Amino acid sequence: MYPPKFDYYRASSVAEAVSLLGAHPGAKVLAGGHSLIPAMNLRLADPGVLIDIGRIDELRGISALPGGGFRIGALTTHAMVAGASELPAVLTEAASMIGDPQVRNRGTVGGNVSHADPASDLPTVFMALGATFHITGPGGSRSVAATDFFVDLFTTALQDGEILTAIEVPALPAHTGSGYAKLFNPASRYAMVSAAAVVTVSGNRCEAVSVAVGGLTPKATKAVSVEAALVGKQLDEETVAAAATAVSGDLGDDILGDIHASAEYRRRMAPVFVKRALLKAIERAK
Amino acid sequence: MEITLNINGRSQTISAHPTDTLLTALRHAGYYSVRYGSDDGTTGAGAILLDGRLVNSETILVGQAIGHHIETVEGLTTQVGELHPIQKAFIETGAIQSGYSTPAMILAAKALLDQNPNPTEAEVRDALSGILCRETGYVKPVQAVLRAAAYLRGEDVPPYEGPEIVDATYIGDLPSSPDDKISGPETHVTDTPATHTKPKTDVLLTSSIPETRVVGKPETKVDAVKLAKGNPAFVDDIELRGMLHAKLLTSPHAHARILDIDDSEALALPGVHAVIHYKNISRVKYASGGQSYPNPLPHDQVSFDNKVRYVGDRVAAVAAETPEIAEEALKRIKVTYEVLPAVFDENEAIKPGAPVIHDEDDTEGIHDAQRNIVHHIHAEVGSVEQGFQEADYVFEHTYYVHQVQQAPIEPHIAISWWDSDERLVIRTSTQVPFHVRRMVAPLLGLPVKRIRVIKPRIGGGFGVKQEMLIEDIVGHLTIKTGRPVRLELTRSEEFRSSRTRHPQTITFKTGVMKDGTLHSMEMRVVGNTGAYGTHGLTVQTVTGLRGLSSYNCKHRKFDCLVVYTNLPVPGAYRGYGGPQALFALECHMDEIAHALGMDPIVFRRKNWVQAGDPMPIAPLLGEGEKETVQFVPVIQSCGLNECFEQGMKAIGWERKYEPGWHEVPGKPHVRRGLGAAMCMHGTAIPGLDMGGASIKMNDDGSFNVLVGATDLGTGADTVLGQIAAEVLGVPLADIVMYSSDTDMTPFDTGAYASSTTYISGTAVKKAAEQVADQIRERAALMLGLERWHDIRLENRHAIAPDGRSVSLEAIALHSLHQDQQRQIMATASFVSMDSPPPFAGQFAEVEVDTETGQVTVTKLVMAVDAGVPINPITASGQVEGGMTQALGYAHCEEMAYDESGNLINDQFGPYHIYRADEMPWMKAILVQTNEPTGPFGAKAIAEIPKDGVAPAVANAIFDATGVRIRRIPFTPQRVYRALQAAKEGEAH
Ligand SMILES: Cc1cc2nc3c(=O)[nH]c(=O)nc-3n(C[C@H](O)[C@H](O)[C@H](O)COP(=O)(O)OP(=O)(O)OC[C@H]3O[C@@H](n4cnc5c(N)ncnc54)[C@H](O)[C@@H]3O)c2cc1C
Ligand code: FES
Repeated sequence: MYPPKFDYYRASSVAEAVSLLGAHPGAKVLAGGHSLIPAMNLRLADPGVLIDIGRIDELRGISALPGGGFRIGALTTHAMVAGASELPAVLTEAASMIGDPQVRNRGTVGGNVSHADPASDLPTVFMALGATFHITGPGGSRSVAATDFFVDLFTTALQDGEILTAIEVPALPAHTGSGYAKLFNPASRYAMVSAAAVVTVSGNRCEAVSVAVGGLTPKATKAVSVEAALVGKQLDEETVAAAATAVSGDLGDDILGDIHASAEYRRRMAPVFVKRALLKAIERAK
Repeated sequence: MEITLNINGRSQTISAHPTDTLLTALRHAGYYSVRYGSDDGTTGAGAILLDGRLVNSETILVGQAIGHHIETVEGLTTQVGELHPIQKAFIETGAIQSGYSTPAMILAAKALLDQNPNPTEAEVRDALSGILCRETGYVKPVQAVLRAAAYLRGEDVPPYEGPEIVDATYIGDLPSSPDDKISGPETHVTDTPATHTKPKTDVLLTSSIPETRVVGKPETKVDAVKLAKGNPAFVDDIELRGMLHAKLLTSPHAHARILDIDDSEALALPGVHAVIHYKNISRVKYASGGQSYPNPLPHDQVSFDNKVRYVGDRVAAVAAETPEIAEEALKRIKVTYEVLPAVFDENEAIKPGAPVIHDEDDTEGIHDAQRNIVHHIHAEVGSVEQGFQEADYVFEHTYYVHQVQQAPIEPHIAISWWDSDERLVIRTSTQVPFHVRRMVAPLLGLPVKRIRVIKPRIGGGFGVKQEMLIEDIVGHLTIKTGRPVRLELTRSEEFRSSRTRHPQTITFKTGVMKDGTLHSMEMRVVGNTGAYGTHGLTVQTVTGLRGLSSYNCKHRKFDCLVVYTNLPVPGAYRGYGGPQALFALECHMDEIAHALGMDPIVFRRKNWVQAGDPMPIAPLLGEGEKETVQFVPVIQSCGLNECFEQGMKAIGWERKYEPGWHEVPGKPHVRRGLGAAMCMHGTAIPGLDMGGASIKMNDDGSFNVLVGATDLGTGADTVLGQIAAEVLGVPLADIVMYSSDTDMTPFDTGAYASSTTYISGTAVKKAAEQVADQIRERAALMLGLERWHDIRLENRHAIAPDGRSVSLEAIALHSLHQDQQRQIMATASFVSMDSPPPFAGQFAEVEVDTETGQVTVTKLVMAVDAGVPINPITASGQVEGGMTQALGYAHCEEMAYDESGNLINDQFGPYHIYRADEMPWMKAILVQTNEPTGPFGAKAIAEIPKDGVAPAVANAIFDATGVRIRRIPFTPQRVYRALQAAKEGEAH
C-alpha cells in the first residue's frame, strides 16, 4: 500500500523545522516514521503535511553531560541506544526489546516519546529515570520533567509547532541498579504491561527507589505506592514481592485491555512485572 | 518526477515522488526482489539495506532515502551464474521454500555479517527476527547464515548433508510393554474385540529400499538460484502496458441486504474505467473451493450479490489508472444497506430464531437453510451405543478449536489481460490453475478454451489459494475495460476477505475396556463454515476420517453439522480438518490414559493402527458426498513404532519420570512438562486427485518436464524433477521443470491434500518410463541391437548389456535430425485408489510461567514416516515449517472479532506468527518405510506436521501443571485463568 497524499518538506535545522511547522498548521513532524507511516499506510492517520526532521544531524547522538548523566538527541535510534553500554541498563535493555531490528534501526527515541503510545517502552523508562525533556518551539526553548511531559494517551506536553530536541537522563548514584520487565504483545512486541525500576542499595537495604509502570495505563505512571512500601526496607524477595503488590494503588481506574490481554489480566500482571523489574535492578545494584 | 537515488552503488534517476514509499518506488524501478508483505513493516518482505542497516522499505519514504546508500539483493551479483556466498549458503541448506522472503533474509544476513563475522546462533536469530517466514520454521535459514559466515571467514566448509534418515526396522513393540499385542484387522474379529494379533513379521515393512542416484538425495531446489537472486518470478513481477489497478469495496456489515448501489460518482472520477457490482454482473452460482468437477454443493456464491454475509464480503470492484484513483472511487460508491442481525458462533447459529444467512431461493443443496445447517454428515461402523454398554468405562470431553489464517507472506494477487488471440490470460497466485480455469469460465461467460491460467512462483499458499478467489474479479474487469487489470489484496484484505481455518466444537465420547482397549468411539462435531460453504463439507469429512482412523476400535460413529455463520469464510488450510480432529483426539487419549492410570504412550500404542489394519470408516467418509472410496483401505506401511522410539529418544521422554524434573532450578514460578501426540494423515484424495506430466527430450539430451502440479514453495518441482532424472539416468541439472500453465502443461488437480509427490510424482514416473523406453528403442536402433528392454539408462548414457553405450545427446540428435526422425516424448497421468497414510510421533517440551500464564514451548520433535523421502532436505523443510505453523495454531494465532463481527487483528502487528528469535529447538526425524503404492516408496509429508503440535503442547501443559485446557490457543491470559480456576477449585 501507499500513504494518503500529503505535502512533504525537509528541514535542515531546528529553526527551519520550527518555522515550517509555524507555516503549516496541522503539519506533523516526521522522525523515523515508524509510528507515523504505518498509521498512514493503514489509513489511521492522514496529516496533510509532513516536516521531515531526519536530516538535522545535531538532533542525533548520545553525549555525556559535564555534570554527569547523558543527553540523548531526539533522532537517536533505538539501535543506537541499545548499543550504548554507558547508559543505564534499564534504558538499553528496554530499547533492545523494541520491535525488531528494522524498527530499532529506524525508530527514534524522540518519536517514541512524542507519540506517547501507551504501549511504548521508553516513556516508562524515562519516567523511572526522572528524565528531562528539551523542547524548542516558536517561543524558544523550554525543559519539562518526565512527570509533566506525559499527559495522557497519545498526548504530551508538546504544543503545536514545538519539537522535542533531546532527553536528558541524570547520572545514577553509586550502588544503584536498574531493570526493565515487560509482558509483551506477542506479535508487535509493544508492552502490554511494563515496569522500570531504579534501586539504590546500601547493604541489603533499599536506600532509594524509583518505579514506573506502563502499557496498561493511558500514560507511563510513577508507582509511588511501591516506592513508599520499599524504601528503607530489607531487600529480600518476599519484601519486594509484597511491595510490588502496592502497585494496584497507583494504576487508577482506566486500565487498557485488548484481545491479547484484558484489563483485568493486565491489572493482575502489574505486580508480577514490577517485582521482576525490581529484582533485576537489585541484582544489578549489588 | 525524476529522483536520483543511490542504488546498489550506482546513482540512478528513477521516476518517483518523495512521498512514495521506497517499496513502491523500487519495484517501479525494476527491483522486484523488494516485496510487498505488509503495510506496517511487520513482515519484513520489503526489507532493504539503507547505509548498511536493515530497514523496511514500505515504511520509509523516498524523500527520506535520498542521499543514502540503498542495497537490494539485485546488487549482490551482477553476472548471470554468479552467486554471493550468502546466496550460496541459502541454496545449499534448503533455506529457500517459496523464496518470497528470501531476498530480505539474505540482506538481513549481510547486514549482520558485515558487522559481525562470527555471530552466535542467538545473534543470527535476532538479525532475522524482523522477517517473517511462513514456511521454513527458520531452521534452515539460521543454518544458512552460520554457513555463510564460515564461507566469508574463508573457512573450508564441508558439503551440506541433509537430515538424518532412520530406516523403520519392523519391531512389533517398544521395549516398555512386553505383553502388548499388535491389533489386527477388525474383519478378523471373532471372540473378544480388537485384540487380535497378526504375525509380527509383516513383509510390507521389511523396507528394503532400492539404491537410487537422484531420488532420496539432498538435491538443491531447481528454483533456488532464481529465488536467491530475487529474479522476477512472482505474479506481480511483470508490468503490462496500460495496466489498470483494481480495488475491492467490501462490506462493513456482518449481515446486510444491499438495497441499492449508485456508482455514478465513482464512474465520473477521471481515470476510473469500470465499477462492477451486482447490478451489472450476471448472477452465476458457484462454490469457490478449488475442487474437482462437479464442485460439491451448495453453490451458494455469485461474483457480486445483493446481500453481504460477513464483514469483508464483496460489494463492488473498481478498475482505474492508479491504485490511488481506484481507492478514491471506492469512497464515491454509494451503497444502501439494510442491516440484518448476525450470528457468529456455530452453536448459536443452529438455534431457532437465529438469523437465516442463506435465504436466497437459488442455492441448491443446503441441508436446512432455515437453521443455517449446510450439511449433516453421518457415518457409523458397528453400533456405538451397544459399544458404550459393553465398555468398562465411558469418557466424554468437548474441545474447541478456533479460527486462524493461512497467512502466506505473498497475499492473493492476479493480473489478467486479453492476448493477441483475444483469449483471456490470468496470471495468478493459485494452487489450482486448472480448477480456476474451469470454475471462472461460466462466471465470465467465456468457454474454457478462451481462458489461459498461468501460475508462476507462489509466495506460499497453505490452502488459502486452493480457491477461485479473485480471478473472476480481474477477469470481469478486463472484459469490461479491454485492459490488463491487476488486483492485489492488501494484508488487511487478505485477513478479512480470503480464507481461514474452520472453527469447530468437537465432542469425543469413548468406551474403553479395563485393559485399555478402545471399544467404542463417537465423535460429534459442529463445524463453522462462515458465510459460504466452499470447503465446508470436505474439511469436516476429513475431520471425521482423521478423528476415527488412528486407533483400532470396534464401534465408531461420526456425526457432524456444518453450519453457516457471519464469520469470514473458512476454506482449505494445510491439514484440512486434521489438526482440529487431532487436537481433540490426542487430548482425549491423554485424558483417558490419565484416568486409567496408564502411560499415555503405552495406552496409545495398545490401540493405534499398524500395517495390515483396515480403515473401516474411510468408505463412509470419502471426499464429501461422492463416496469415491468403494472398499475398506488397508494400511500397507507404518513406521509408528520407530517414530515413537526415535522421537522419545530425541526429546528425552524419560525425564518426565525423574523426580523434580518438572521444577526449574532458581525459577520457582516455572513448571516444565512433556507431551506427545500420535499423528496419522492421508496422501491425496483417493479416486479423485489426478496429475499429469509431459516429458520431451531436447537436442543435448536434456529434458523438459511439464507438469500441471503447482509448486507453491514446497519443492514439488524439485521432487518431480528428481523422479524424472532417476528414471532417465541423468542428473537433476538436465531436467528443465515447468509448472504450471493451462495452455502448456497437462492437467493436474493442483497442490492440495498432500498429493503432489504421490500423485503427480507417479505421473512423472510413468511418463519418464515411457520416454526411457523410447530412448532404449532408439539406442537399440543406433547400436544395431534386436532387444532394447535390457538397456540401462545411467550417467547420461544408454548402456547395452554387452557394455556398448551411446550418449543421450547422440540419441537425441539421431532422433530429432538423422534417421526415422521423431520427437522422443510422452505424457502420462495418474490417479490412485489408495491414500496411504503417513504417520508421526509429535513431542513437545514446555515451560509454564505460573505467575503470568505464559507458555514457552522449548522443544519440538517430530519423527515422521512419510515413506521414502524423495528429497530429505525439502521433506525436513516441510516438517520444520509445518510444525511452526502448527505451533502458532496451538499457542498464539487467533482471529479476534468485535461484537459486530469486525476482525480486530487484520495485521501481523496484532496477529502473531512466530519469528526467528522465539522458535523452540526443533528436530525433524525422517523414519523411512517403503510404501508399495508410492513412487519410489514415497508417501505424503506436507500436512502431517500440522496435526500434532497443539495436542502435544496441551498434554505437556497438563504434565507441567496438572491443568487440562480444552481450548486453543494457549495464550497467557487463557492459561493464567485456567491455572487460577484450578487453584480456586482446589481451595474449595
Ligand atoms: C512493527 C513495529 C513494532 C514496534 N514495536 C515497538 C515496541 O515493541 N516498543 C516500542 O516502544 N515501540 C515499538 N514500535 C514503535 C517504534 O518504536 C517507533 O519507531 C516509535 O514509537 C516512533 O518513533 P519514530 O521516530 O519512528 O517516530 P515517527 O513515526 O516519525 O513519529 C511519531 C510521532 O511523533 C512525532 N514526533 C517524532 N519526532 C518528534 C520530535 N522530535 N518532536 C516532536 N514530535 C515528534 C511525529 O510527529 C509523530 O506524531 C514499533 C513500530 C513498528 C512499526
Ligand atoms: S520461504 Fe519464507 S515465506 Fe516463503
